[in-house]
Amino acid sequence: MIDKRLVIVSGKGGTGKSAFAAGLALLAQRQGLRVLAAELGDGAGLSAHFGTGPLAFHPREVRPGLHAMHMVRSEALLEYLSIQLGVRTIARFGPFARAFDALATTAPGIREIITIGKLVWEVREDKWDIVVADAPPTGQIGSYLRAPQTINELVPSGRVQAQSEQMAAMLADHATTELVLMTLPEELPVAETREALTWLEKEKLAIGTTLVANRVLDELDSKATAAGPIGEAAVLHRRLHDEQRHWLERFPTDFQLPYLFGILTPGEVAAHISDELEARL
Amino acid sequence: MTHTVLVTGSGGVGKTSLAAALAATAARRGLRTLVVTVDPARRLADALGADTLGNEPEQNPVEGNLWAAMLDASASWRAVAERHAEPDVAARLVNNEFFIAASEHFPASQAYAAADQAATYVEAGVWDLVVVDTPPSGGGIDFFTAPAQMADLVGGRLLRWITGGPLPGRRFFFDRAARPMLRLADTILGADLLERVAEFLLDLRTTYDGVARRGRQIEKVLKASSILVVATADPAPVGEAVRFYRELPALASTPAAVVFNRALPEDWANRNAEGKGAPAALVQNFQRWSAESLRQIDVRGEFSTRYRANVATVPWSSTPPTDVAGLIALLESASGIPWESLGIPQAQ
Repeated sequence: MIDKRLVIVSGKGGTGKSAFAAGLALLAQRQGLRVLAAELGDGAGLSAHFGTGPLAFHPREVRPGLHAMHMVRSEALLEYLSIQLGVRTIARFGPFARAFDALATTAPGIREIITIGKLVWEVREDKWDIVVADAPPTGQIGSYLRAPQTINELVPSGRVQAQSEQMAAMLADHATTELVLMTLPEELPVAETREALTWLEKEKLAIGTTLVANRVLDELDSKATAAGPIGEAAVLHRRLHDEQRHWLERFPTDFQLPYLFGILTPGEVAAHISDELEARL
Repeated sequence: MTHTVLVTGSGGVGKTSLAAALAATAARRGLRTLVVTVDPARRLADALGADTLGNEPEQNPVEGNLWAAMLDASASWRAVAERHAEPDVAARLVNNEFFIAASEHFPASQAYAAADQAATYVEAGVWDLVVVDTPPSGGGIDFFTAPAQMADLVGGRLLRWITGGPLPGRRFFFDRAARPMLRLADTILGADLLERVAEFLLDLRTTYDGVARRGRQIEKVLKASSILVVATADPAPVGEAVRFYRELPALASTPAAVVFNRALPEDWANRNAEGKGAPAALVQNFQRWSAESLRQIDVRGEFSTRYRANVATVPWSSTPPTDVAGLIALLESASGIPWESLGIPQAQ
C-alpha cells in the first residue's frame, strides 16, 4: 500500500475512511516519504485528523514532508482549464469558465474528471512519493473511477478526451494505484461494500482493491461470568463480537483494525491507525 | 392534523432503526403512524413487515396502526418532469442523457424527491404521525435546503452561467459563429456538447413555476415538523450533529433533542466497580468499556452545555430488532426522549 504512488480511500460513510487516509499519510511521512494528502469530499475529515483547521486547494505542509489539500471544485476547475487543457488566462475567468462550471454541475463525469485529473497530475509531477486521497463514499466512488470512460463516451473528440485516456491508464495500473475500501463488520456497511465491489469488478475498476474492516473487537479470552458491570460488559462484548464475526465470515477482508476504546480526539484516532498500519505493512 | 417527526443524523448511527422504533412505539400507543424510510437493512424491513417496501405505504401485519413506505429517490426527477412539464417536453426530458446524469449526480435532487414524497404523505391527512428517516446525502442538511436548491437549478442559474447574461432563446446557441467562447468550448469538449446541454436546460426551465410552487409547500411542512438528531459519541457523527444544531434553527426549527445511540450504562464509568473474585480477563475488559462509557458521558455533557440541547440516550443493543416488539423494546430503556414535543403520548 505504502509503495504505491496513489492510494484512494473510500468506504461507507461513518466507517472511518478519513481516519484511515490520515493514518496512512502520517505513516508515510514518518517513513520519510514526501506525502500529499487530499480531501476530496465536502467534509472536514482530514483536517480534523491532522488538527490543522480548514484546508485549502493549495497544499499546505501540516507535518514535515506531509502536505494536505482540499479539492475545492472551482479552483480545481480553473487549474484544470489552464494546465491540462491549455486554456489562456483570459478565457479562464470569463463566460467560458462559467459555461464550463455549469457543465461540471450538469454533465456526467466532468466534476469527477476534474478531481481525478488533479490527483493524476499531482502524481505525475513527481513532487510526491505518495498521494493519499480521502475520497467520496462508496456510493459515489464508482462515478469518480469511471469518469475517464464516461467522458470518452460523452465527448467523442476534443482536448478533454485526450486527457481522459491518460487518466484511465494510470487508474488501471496496479503498480501505481490502489483502492482501499473501508467497512465495518455490520449488516449495512457489508452490504454496501459488497455492492460497490461487485460494480467495480464488473466495470473492471477494482484496481488492486484492499478491503479493510474497522472497529473490530477481539475475542474475550475467558468464558467466565461475573456479577455487576464487569459481567455486563463481558456479555455485551461477547454478543457484539459474535455479531461482528458473523459478518466477517460472510465478507472476508484483507485486514482488520481494532476497536479503539475511550479515544477522544480525531488526532488520537489517526495516530493509533498509523501505528497499527506500521505494524502490519 | 398530522404531526411530523424528521429523524436526521449522519449515516451508520442507527438512524433508520430509531425512526422505525419511534414509529412502532407511537403506533402501539394508539397513533395511526407512517414511517418513511430510505434503504433499510434487510432485517429492519422484515421487522416492519414489508417484503417489498415502495412509495405505496404498507400496513404492518402485526401492528395495525403502523404503516411503512420506502422512498424511491431514483424515480424522483422523472416525477418532477412528469408533474411540472408539458407532456411532450417531459418525454424529451426523461430520455435526455444530461437529465439522466443530473438526476443521478445532483445530490439535492434525491433530497428534494424525499422531501416532496414525505410532504405528500403529511398532506394526505390520513395519519396522526408521519416519521421520516431523512436520506444522508449531503450530510442530511440537503433535505432542508433541497426545495430552494431545486428551484434555483431549474430556474436557469446554469443557463445564466452559460450565457453570462439574461436568459436566451434557443437561437443563441445556434448563432455560435458570433460567440468566440462557444467556439472555444467546441475545441475543448468536442462539437455540439454545449448545445445539447443547453437544449436540456431550456426544457428543464419550463418546470420552474411548478417546482418553485411545490418547493414552498414542502418548506411549510418541514418548518412545522419536529426534528430529532441521531448521533453516536464518535467524532464524525458528533460533528454532523453540531452542524444540525447550528443550521437547522434558521432552515426549519431547533431540534427537539439529540439522541445518542449505542450508549453504555453510565455506572460503567466507575473503573473500580464491584467485582470481587471476577477473573482478571473480565476486569481488564471492563476497564476498556469503562473508559468508553466515560468518554461518552464527556461527549454528551459537552454537547448539552454548548448547544443547550436536550440529550436523550438509547442503550447499545447487541441484537438488532427483527420484529415490532423488538423495535418497541429498543426505546423502552431509552432516556430523555421528548415524547410530548414529538406528539407521542407518554407510556402508561
